Amino acid sequence: MPKVLIIDDSSVMRKMIQRNIQQSGLIVDSFVEAGDGKEALAKIAADSSIDLILCDWNMPNMTGIEFVKALRGSGNQTPIVMCTTEGSDAKVVEATGSGANGYITKPFTPDQLKTKLGAFLQIK
Amino acid sequence: MDLKGIMDGITLDIKETTKTLFETMIMLDLNYGDASLVDETQIKTDVIGMVSFTGQYHGVVGIFCSKKFALKVASSMLMMELEEFNNDVKDAVGEVSNMIAGNIKTKMSEKYGEMHLSIPIVIAGEGLSITAVGNVPTVSDTALSCFSKDPWLMTYFISEKEKFGVGLLLKESK
Repeated sequence: MPKVLIIDDSSVMRKMIQRNIQQSGLIVDSFVEAGDGKEALAKIAADSSIDLILCDWNMPNMTGIEFVKALRGSGNQTPIVMCTTEGSDAKVVEATGSGANGYITKPFTPDQLKTKLGAFLQIK
Repeated sequence: MDLKGIMDGITLDIKETTKTLFETMIMLDLNYGDASLVDETQIKTDVIGMVSFTGQYHGVVGIFCSKKFALKVASSMLMMELEEFNNDVKDAVGEVSNMIAGNIKTKMSEKYGEMHLSIPIVIAGEGLSITAVGNVPTVSDTALSCFSKDPWLMTYFISEKEKFGVGLLLKESK
């Protein structure tokens, strides 16, 4: 069953993303949380069963784009969808060019999340 | 373009961004108030959430609100009734600031080049104080004054019968 890692320095946002995914009808079995890129890398190293990663951009210690580059540099190809307020074309190009597989801009609705994540998760 | 002209355009961006945020993720009613350049001495608030940005222009985007309103926003975002001004409330105010600043920055970047955002900072006052607004004395739980040498472009909104402001401090980088 799908497991999703949510990386965001806001605990409120991590809870909101979980709730939005559950409301959207996407099938997810469990969530793992990390407050920055560095913590996320440690969680991934300890858990090889993560199916999808949602990643904020601006975070302390290790930013989202630094995390994407580090994960791809290690050879890990788990899908990454950036989930951020950074919505400019330049940022989208930078993220996808670094190895991110998708992009969603905050704020979003459960339906928008469903559309963006439907390529990576099954829908009820 | 002069700074005043840029700020006029940004007011519309602030209104649209804040409206979208309240409709999609906060789920509270929202009505526009007015927008004006405000001297820092006129800004009295309980809670400030701020995100700074740098680039061709630099400055700060901030949300200024009461503790009561911050509690309502956090409660709505978490879908649970919060009664204490705890870390979840500060986190929620920070995230609201971040989403407003991020979207304004995206719109500004289209016109004025790429900019970089800081992570949010939330400041909340503690203790009792009394401030007078006009001739009407107001007792608030806290009162913070915001100091800056330049005026803020303040856009005011009403939500849940509470007035709050989204402020922008903008300077051209030399």
